[in-house]
Amino acid sequence: MPSDRLPDIGSTITIEKPAFNLLLSRLKEEGYLPIGPRIKNDSLIYEEIESLEDLPRGYSTEQKPGSFRLVREKHARYFDIIPGSHSWKQFLFPSRVELFTLRKNGKGWENTTQPAEIPSYAFIGVRACELAAIQIQDNIFMRSDFTDPIYRARRQRVFIVSVNCTHPAETCFCTSMGTGPRVKELFDLSLTELDDVFVLTVGSQLARRLMTGIPFDDASGYILTNVEHRLNHAEQQMRRRLDTSDLPELILEHLDHPYWNEIGKRCLSCASCTQVCPTCFCWDTQDEMSLDGKTAKRTRVWDSCFNPGYSHQAGGNTRPTIYSRYRQWMSHKFGTWKQQYGTLGCVGCGRCITWCPAEIDITEEIAALRNEVKR
Amino acid sequence: MYNKAEVTRELQKIPWFKEIEPRHLEKITDIAHLRHVRAGEVLFREGDKEDFLYIVIEGRVALDIFVPHRGKVRIYTAEPWDLFGWSSVTPTIHQRTAGAVAVVDGVVVGIDSAKLRQLCEEDHDLGYLVMRRLTNIVASRLLVTRLQLIDMFGSPEEKNAK
Amino acid sequence: MTAIAPETAKSHSGFLLEPHWAEITAITPEADGISTYWIRFTDPAEQEAFRFEPGQFNMLYLPGFGESAISISSNPQDHEKIGHTIRFVGNVTRAVSRLKVGDIVGLRGPFGTYWPMKEIEGKDIFIACGGIGLPPLRPALYHIIQNREKYGKVTLLYGARTSGDLMFPNEYAEWRKAGIDVEITVDRGDANWNGRVGVVPMWFYQFRIDSRKTAVLTCGPEIMIRFVIFEAMARRVPSESIYVSLERNMKCGQGSCGHCQMGPYFICKDGPVFRFDELQSFFNVEEF
Repeated sequence: MPSDRLPDIGSTITIEKPAFNLLLSRLKEEGYLPIGPRIKNDSLIYEEIESLEDLPRGYSTEQKPGSFRLVREKHARYFDIIPGSHSWKQFLFPSRVELFTLRKNGKGWENTTQPAEIPSYAFIGVRACELAAIQIQDNIFMRSDFTDPIYRARRQRVFIVSVNCTHPAETCFCTSMGTGPRVKELFDLSLTELDDVFVLTVGSQLARRLMTGIPFDDASGYILTNVEHRLNHAEQQMRRRLDTSDLPELILEHLDHPYWNEIGKRCLSCASCTQVCPTCFCWDTQDEMSLDGKTAKRTRVWDSCFNPGYSHQAGGNTRPTIYSRYRQWMSHKFGTWKQQYGTLGCVGCGRCITWCPAEIDITEEIAALRNEVKR
Repeated sequence: MYNKAEVTRELQKIPWFKEIEPRHLEKITDIAHLRHVRAGEVLFREGDKEDFLYIVIEGRVALDIFVPHRGKVRIYTAEPWDLFGWSSVTPTIHQRTAGAVAVVDGVVVGIDSAKLRQLCEEDHDLGYLVMRRLTNIVASRLLVTRLQLIDMFGSPEEKNAK
Repeated sequence: MTAIAPETAKSHSGFLLEPHWAEITAITPEADGISTYWIRFTDPAEQEAFRFEPGQFNMLYLPGFGESAISISSNPQDHEKIGHTIRFVGNVTRAVSRLKVGDIVGLRGPFGTYWPMKEIEGKDIFIACGGIGLPPLRPALYHIIQNREKYGKVTLLYGARTSGDLMFPNEYAEWRKAGIDVEITVDRGDANWNGRVGVVPMWFYQFRIDSRKTAVLTCGPEIMIRFVIFEAMARRVPSESIYVSLERNMKCGQGSCGHCQMGPYFICKDGPVFRFDELQSFFNVEEF
């Protein structure tokens, strides 16, 4: 195989697994900071990775309402985990970011903000549902009438290596939301992991160029069938369902239903679901002043519709009760989001189910609401 | 005193009286009088015996309650075609529960409450119309009172600050 | 080994929430705990370029304290100064209350939808507002006065808690002279108050309106708005002719931070002024 051959865009190839480290080096040479899943303090997080060896090889995850566990398996696969509480959102829409710093200058103020240093991230291992979430946040932060400069600066230089999910978790329901498990678009490289090779589909010119000097084979019919088979199997494995056929109407036409009170009694309003949700986008500002009164700083932080202060205004709190905040969250995700952005606000990743300490399962709640309404 | 024709003419301007049959209107005007009031003139005080139901024809009449240390608190003002002193027509309360004062020069029609009550007793057709009108008035007063009670211009912050 | 691409300060659309600076040129006390702050941008070009429509708001910024959404209460044709009538109830506005003439504040805006002054030309206008709901309507009143011939009968029904809480009392005579029927009511009167005592929705009932050609504009406490709408609908004013200005917690003014949502709307960008038929299905849902 001549090493100067490059794969065509849209073509599917295979590489030996160790060759992926070459790809990571290429990315770093191009100025990218590779971020991927890794295990740290018994948690699965997204963080800078140096090489394949940082990935959670041989692990899978066991996820249930209110429960997440890493499981050591006998296999040697790198991407069999299903993501934990981290999502790519934290890199594009950081949970805490300085907006600007002002310094008193006579009567007024001078903007003394240092230019922010923003890495070019290479996201390694983006799932189909997560790609859908990025797409949703693109619509939010890069609207035609308003673009968030912080988001755009990060987003426009991201390199995406997506991963097809072959072992969905029990909390996954991406098939119901039409987002996965199969990656279809928006990637630079799309990866499917087989036992001995990585199968890659080339999605961009840059990805193609990065393959320079990396040995690869064209994916054989056997490999392609194998990938297909695994994805079909993954789809079948996913048993959790969310019926979206009557959304958003089911929710928006029953905002007064007593069932909301029932959920409200279980919800702790802890905001975990909104923090782990890859599409939740609400933010707040924090203001600080130095003790001498000469330096003022504004910071942007994540907020949540579950925080009591979220809907607080001069006239009082618009949503003083937990049930009303839960209803705001759910009616936004599965209702008004559609009017605002053209899609539902859920990608079926299941994080809100796994990370809810009260074990509230959104798929069950919507089904229960539907049953209550029918009565 | 004003003549009966004048009272009839004033009452007939009021939409509600248009529903009343001439024979009933006749009976009401028999027990009604027209009264010119000057700004500041007191029509009745809290605790007075209830004698008349009033309809404002012109001007503005304020209802007030005396609150020790706060003085007179105006709780409502009646404008043309509005009623005040309505509780005099219900047989349970015998004293004025608020005072009434004309805040500008004006004209009111006073209807003898005891006699009106008697008319309603004798002729329930008339009684129904009168009571229906009073119920509307009471309902509207209740709404006003509720909204005042809510103190809609207040804010929780203000209350906390105090 | 990780290359960092420096982001220049003014790349893209600049800093998120970056304020423009303005100087307080005058402060007019309006009522207990409420004053109007008159400001001018420190950059004359910015002052020259600033235009707003009646009903829009600015985000007022105090370094170290934060921002607060304040509706613009001044004459839209006055390009020399911008008025913000502020009630001191939150952290930011309480800090504003300590400012003096000559102090500098940050400003972003104007934001939001506005009163439909163009669409309602030729109609009668019934304005029902209460308390601090008058300031966002004052620019509309100025507009009406400047274009009086374009509108039919114009009534302003305004209520406040007490006579001392009434905004802009010195201007009522001028508004009346310009052909606006100014009707005032207070929740509670004292022996010196010879005006009306009662509440705005109830007085609304006393006024004759031609429901087919009247536009109702309302702003004030949400509870008052609810009853005004109730009364307007009872009078057969179509919901398409009722306009409401709403208030919610706002942080960005650009429909981005999420706080001011009401159903599908971001009040800061899709509002604050709504035609009531757009809101109808959400308006009476409790705590929504």
